[in-house]
Amino acid sequence: MEFLINLVNGLSLGGVYAMIALGYTMVYGIAKMLNFAHGDIIMVGGYTVYVFLNLFNPLVANAPWLAFLSPVVAILASIIVCPILGVAVEKTAYKPLRGASPLAVLITAIGVSYLLQSLALIIFGADVKFVIIADLGAIKLGDLIIKYNTIITLVATVAVMVGLTLFVKFTKTGRAMVAVSEDRDAARLMGVNINLIITVTFAIGSALAALAGVCSLLETPSLTSTFGALPGIKAFTAAVIGGIGSIPGAMVGGLLLGVVECICNSIPPLAPYTMAVEFIILIVILLVKPSGILGKKRREKV
Amino acid sequence: MAKIWNAICKVKWKHFVNYIAIGIVGLIFSIMTLTTKLPMSTTVLLETITLNIVLAVSLSLVVGFLGELSLGHAGFMCIGAYAGGIISCIFKESNIEEGKGILTFIVSMIIGAVVAGIFGFLVGLPALRLKGDYLAIVTLAFGEIVKTVLENLDLKVENGFNIRGALGMRTPRFDKETLFIIGFVLVLLTVFIVQNLIRSKHGRAITAIRDNEIAAKASGINVTKYKLMGFVISAALAGIAGVYFSFANYNVKASVFDYNYSIEILIMVVLGGMGNVSGAIISATAITWINTELQTSLTGELAVLKDIIYALILVIIIIYNNAPGLKFFRERFNLRRGIDWIKHKVLRIKHDASHEKDDESAWDRVPTKIEMNEVLSTDFVVVESTQNPDKEEK
Amino acid sequence: MKFTRILALVLALVMCCGMLASCGGGDDNTANKNVLGTNVSASDEFTAGNKVVKIGCSGPLTGPAAVYGLSVEKAAKLAVSEINAIAAEELGFTFQFIMLDDKHDPMLVTNNYASLIEQGVQITLGTVTTGPGLEFKEYSHDDNVFVLTPSASGDDIPEYGNAFQMCFADSNQGTASAQYFNENYVGKKVGIFYKSDDDYSTGITNKFKSALDKSFTVVEASFKGEESNFATQVNTLKDCDVIFMPIYYTPASQFMLAGKNTVKANAIYYGCDGLDGIDAVEGFDINTIPQEISYLSHFNSGATEGEAGEFIARYNAFEGDATLNQFGAAAYDCVWAIYEALKFAKAKGTTFGKTTSSSNFCDILSQVLPHEEFQFHGVTGAQTNGGLNKSDISWQKNGFVNKEAVKYIVKEANK
Repeated sequence: MEFLINLVNGLSLGGVYAMIALGYTMVYGIAKMLNFAHGDIIMVGGYTVYVFLNLFNPLVANAPWLAFLSPVVAILASIIVCPILGVAVEKTAYKPLRGASPLAVLITAIGVSYLLQSLALIIFGADVKFVIIADLGAIKLGDLIIKYNTIITLVATVAVMVGLTLFVKFTKTGRAMVAVSEDRDAARLMGVNINLIITVTFAIGSALAALAGVCSLLETPSLTSTFGALPGIKAFTAAVIGGIGSIPGAMVGGLLLGVVECICNSIPPLAPYTMAVEFIILIVILLVKPSGILGKKRREKV
Repeated sequence: MAKIWNAICKVKWKHFVNYIAIGIVGLIFSIMTLTTKLPMSTTVLLETITLNIVLAVSLSLVVGFLGELSLGHAGFMCIGAYAGGIISCIFKESNIEEGKGILTFIVSMIIGAVVAGIFGFLVGLPALRLKGDYLAIVTLAFGEIVKTVLENLDLKVENGFNIRGALGMRTPRFDKETLFIIGFVLVLLTVFIVQNLIRSKHGRAITAIRDNEIAAKASGINVTKYKLMGFVISAALAGIAGVYFSFANYNVKASVFDYNYSIEILIMVVLGGMGNVSGAIISATAITWINTELQTSLTGELAVLKDIIYALILVIIIIYNNAPGLKFFRERFNLRRGIDWIKHKVLRIKHDASHEKDDESAWDRVPTKIEMNEVLSTDFVVVESTQNPDKEEK
Repeated sequence: MKFTRILALVLALVMCCGMLASCGGGDDNTANKNVLGTNVSASDEFTAGNKVVKIGCSGPLTGPAAVYGLSVEKAAKLAVSEINAIAAEELGFTFQFIMLDDKHDPMLVTNNYASLIEQGVQITLGTVTTGPGLEFKEYSHDDNVFVLTPSASGDDIPEYGNAFQMCFADSNQGTASAQYFNENYVGKKVGIFYKSDDDYSTGITNKFKSALDKSFTVVEASFKGEESNFATQVNTLKDCDVIFMPIYYTPASQFMLAGKNTVKANAIYYGCDGLDGIDAVEGFDINTIPQEISYLSHFNSGATEGEAGEFIARYNAFEGDATLNQFGAAAYDCVWAIYEALKFAKAKGTTFGKTTSSSNFCDILSQVLPHEEFQFHGVTGAQTNGGLNKSDISWQKNGFVNKEAVKYIVKEANK
């Protein structure tokens, strides 16, 4: 029973990690860059939800049957705002560096991350804000409590994963993305507009970040300017465990990490070492399988 | 007279410019602090700058010359800091130099370097199997594991040391006014070790591995040995920096050495130009100085602005330095051209071809990165070696 | 529920620190020369154009802990502006407050300390948080600079006799809480929820555990860093009757929200001074939490009457938008205590001025604060003072504060 409870808690946490890792892995697979600012786009998504909820809640206060409207509007708004921000960041900060050393892009991403965090601190202040999008209650099965929010998160994550896989496999843009990730120069020769594809990737990645922000708020509704920093690192770990660049891998890695974290936290002497345990699992997996659980093996060319 | 002048001209000054610059600056400040008292903010700034130079130069060995991304440099430093703290606490309890003398420093420096070097070896092992970002996350993981374990360590040894979990460890602090002199010596030592390693045949092997691992292996370079060598030396130097840190603070606390600190060091290396020791020194100095200035000048409500200013500076410099689109602009306006212009137009020094050294093969600039893909057939697939069946690269 | 905030004076406990004298360390104050009643006004360092007496402080203004530092800054500025209206007449000089950002990082505090001293700061409020404070106290001890910290509650902070605390020391909070548990919660199942990488939280927890009666069944759960998903910890603690949480209010509110349907509805959340401000978290409605929320603290940021209530009104009217918490209230008291202490010294015949050096100020203040005749009335501590609605605050020789702590019940359990 105890294990089952931890498993459910772990899946709910892992769902959020998986959602973030999907965005990470998309951007990494195609743009070949570690987007350290991904976590901060999640934070921006969270604040967008906060702003729109505050705008719309008074409007629907008199009409209870419209109450569902404000969360829907807020979520849609964050799904619109985040891609705009993501593309803007890509155009101004990353695009000039296309073709430069990947490390330079990494450092730029870190700079963008600092920038977004301090802007949020200036605009919204340092106080924590609770953003309750929806509280739908829970299913109780004896000691086992499954929140509807958890179910929504998991369903959304699976849907996004399936949708992304189909998108990449069966649409023209998706195929072009695969081509760019396999070999950028060959793709260009085949008439793929690389810049456009990378921009689209960032837009999709940022929309996923917005969704991740919503899922994260459904689980833990507290919002600060460092809201995305720790989940960002955890999701990066999850993406690597699953095989960075692999869409189902991100899902597997995220859920695994969530479950491990909850099981560790439930054992008091082990609880302070959760981070260490997670990272040891990461190292072991990478040593056994250097490209992650579902990562593709690539042959080395001279 | 002319003979001496010629002899001076023949010395490869380029190889010594770092030592001379650091030596002169260090000497000036040392004389100042020994004669007139320097303000505390200056000595503290010098301590931080020298610390960061040691860290940046040692990290540039792995990132710039070996070509592996490491996000766990602060972890090695953390090990060094705890080792240094433990030694100086034991020395203090044994009434040797109150735990803050030169002898204590040398002993703890050696022990810190050895312990950190051992961990560098352990982290270097996965580096044989992993590449690029996979290795980056392993190093990040290592740093966080070290931090987490030390953060939860409660260890008290009677008449020895006392590590108090999240509170960290209290250590004796070295004399505030003269510690930075040791810092300058450490910088010289680090630069000496790294430069000489890079200029030697080992260094050429290390840069060859960076440029093309398979080609290097095919040329008979022992990749395993040189990768491990790079990691161990870099980690040992970071360990020395950690010991230095423990002597510059009254407390050693593991939570300081998180991945953000590693990233901060990485920023210094990248900003200075990959594989460029002088660049790492300059950028470590500049970043530390800018951060300190922002921290003390933006007080109160303005404090929030300092991260924005820092981030903007970072992004602009990186784009200016690296953007392929700005190459033309960069070639017209840069420091080297500026120096040349002053040399030729202002000082009227004639360009003397006889003094031209083998600069193109200088240690700090590998002239061209040979793209083996362009040389060999792109379809050529190397048969995977039996030692490393899973060897791969993205 | 009618009253969103019920204030119950369940416990008024003078934090007695005599038992903790062992923490005081080695330094003996008697080495200080007696400066009370003497003339210390001239000092070479500060004669050059010092127009005001500068009070400095280092605290987190950015980063995850920024909310505490910002509150301190605003409250200290409020206190300085109020004092300056009367100080010129009473003391002959006015004050200026300077605050630098340390991001709750011990590495940045050394530079802040040096910068403050070189800007001519004569009196300091030390640091806002304990971690950087452990560095700060060493430097201030080396230079003999006075420290009256609002909220760095580590036991080691007042070790050297030049540093005093306005907040209760961690160990005192842990011991006092454990005593309260021993007397009031006999036979109940006790849960502890703490932050394992935080010196404040682990410090209190360790003292609490050692002082707690051995007959209690204790269950522990912990978290670290910026974690915010507490489903597992809630599950571990769900059967407890009383949950002791020596943490700050942000994670506490996250825990309560996560556990509102899982933890026993008649359970009691019992925190320390870090929990103050929990009812002011935006979007977190404490009335949706069925359990009782209470904490042992020296300040109630929801007070409406007494000195504290008036202070809160003035604070909210003052420029700046930082939310008030007990850190700010303590900082407000610190500045006023410094002013009152200087007035006391002047009344005793000590002469000093705006050019007095930091070391001389330190000698004066560190003799006045623990002086048996010196008594300060502030906004922190139980607001009684024989019906005057003020608190009585005094200091011990070892730097710990004496004032009455109160168990505030933020919200009673839903019936």
